[in-house]
Amino acid sequence: MHNLLFSLKNVWFSYLGKFPALAAVDIDINAGQKISIIGANGSGKSTLLHLLDGLIFADKGAASFCGRELNEKDFNDSEFSRNFRRKVGFVFQNPDVQLFCPTVKEDIIFGPLQLGFGKDETQKRLEKLIAILAIEGLLERSPNQLSIGEKRKVALASTLIIRPDILILDEPTAGLDPLTTRHIIDLLIDENISGKTIITSTHDLHIVEEISDVVYVFGRERRIVKFGSPDSILSDTALLSENNLVHIHSHRHKDKVHVHPHVRLEHHLQDGEPG
Amino acid sequence: MKEDSRNGGFVDRSLIGILAFLKNSLFAEEHALKHGFIQSLDPRIKTLTFILFIVVILLAKTIPLVLSLYLLCLLLACISKVNLGFFLKRTWIFIPLFSLFIALPALFSNFTPGEELFSFKAAGLALVITRPGALTVLLFVLRVTAIVSFAVLLSITTRHCELLKVLRIFGIPQAFVMVLGVCYRYIYIFIGIIENTYLAIKSRVGTEIHYKSGQQIVGWNIAFLWVRSYRLNEDVYKAMLSRGYNGEPYVLDDFKVNSRDWLWLAFSGVIGICITCFFH
Repeated sequence: MHNLLFSLKNVWFSYLGKFPALAAVDIDINAGQKISIIGANGSGKSTLLHLLDGLIFADKGAASFCGRELNEKDFNDSEFSRNFRRKVGFVFQNPDVQLFCPTVKEDIIFGPLQLGFGKDETQKRLEKLIAILAIEGLLERSPNQLSIGEKRKVALASTLIIRPDILILDEPTAGLDPLTTRHIIDLLIDENISGKTIITSTHDLHIVEEISDVVYVFGRERRIVKFGSPDSILSDTALLSENNLVHIHSHRHKDKVHVHPHVRLEHHLQDGEPG
Repeated sequence: MKEDSRNGGFVDRSLIGILAFLKNSLFAEEHALKHGFIQSLDPRIKTLTFILFIVVILLAKTIPLVLSLYLLCLLLACISKVNLGFFLKRTWIFIPLFSLFIALPALFSNFTPGEELFSFKAAGLALVITRPGALTVLLFVLRVTAIVSFAVLLSITTRHCELLKVLRIFGIPQAFVMVLGVCYRYIYIFIGIIENTYLAIKSRVGTEIHYKSGQQIVGWNIAFLWVRSYRLNEDVYKAMLSRGYNGEPYVLDDFKVNSRDWLWLAFSGVIGICITCFFH
């Protein structure tokens, strides 16, 4: 396929050679797609994303980006590494990991300066981005002084400023209030409409439909147990339940007890009732 | 810990006190964010002039010269909206008092002979305080106090991130400055982890536990903190790699010098030269 970006064939990975994290993973990701990786804690989602970002490398199997194999040796080539980092942006699960500079501004401009975009270009991009994300008031603050929502926004900004073609996000909405979650989802959808490939790991099933063309489900054995359209995955309650992604939810609407697996808001709307 | 309640209270107070002191002294930017005179200066010019004053103090050989520079420092603190009581407490505790203890023997004729000022007997020994001895001690303590005051005034009226940037301008290798910056950032996170761990232990076991169990808990937590810091270290490095870091950090210098900074630089130079000439 001419627009194939990532291709993983029978990829295995273990930490320190003895703690398995990925088993026989096969994934193809095309340009412009929205991909979601869902699975319970410890099922290998973050490991897969780190592998796609060239931070770790497969023990066994073949992982390639635009037809070129992803291996440590190639990342030692500064030209390849710089081009890859310009194309692929990663937002870490823990924003405290990503925000390591003394101020928010330094954190945001860290990427473009390392990637050689130049000071004027970096400044221009920063100005544009702070207008989009409304983070002007945060620039001179230390990341220590931010709320979790602000940290996530800034972490996202520190990646978006690179303007990567592919955006990889590790649980971008974890621990956020509904409004901030909405902002982030809207931003991701806009980025996808503008042509970017979005790869997201999450266990928030409420957002999966909006941010996915294809959903991959990771099982307890750290392998992909199923993939498909969001509809086909989210309607497979047995699969989701088996992989700790849903629970049976019981509550009361006026005098009527309502029991259903907690997947989507539509469950609440079936009887014409609000959630 | 079940030694006795006073000890338990002491450990509690010490731990909370140390953490609060670290947070206040390292991370509070209360004075740096005020709109005072020193705060309005360019951090590079400010640091340069403060270093100039410190060098003049170091080379000064007369008490009036050091005293006048110390008074200048207090004046600067006042016009920079720094509470004088807080400033004196911050500068006089520890270092000047400690220096006084070090310099104390120089008071006596055994170390600094000269004109007798005062004599007394202690433990059967006749001790004589001499005029040159007293002047030496006074000059030493005043010098330490003045230098500490300038250093403290600089650090509390300048944001730490700006001080780190200034280090780069003074030729400190960028990689070293970056390590300092990252340390500064993560010390805060670890202080938070220690505080929360302490509260979690307190909420589950209270303060009344056997000292052996207490030792085990503390030991286990030190190990846990070490593991977390090691993991964080790996993750932060990955985050840096992910944004193009290749061992050579690049940064943006966005300081701006205006006419007020040049005036202050000229004024400081003139003051330094005048005071030195006048008192020499």
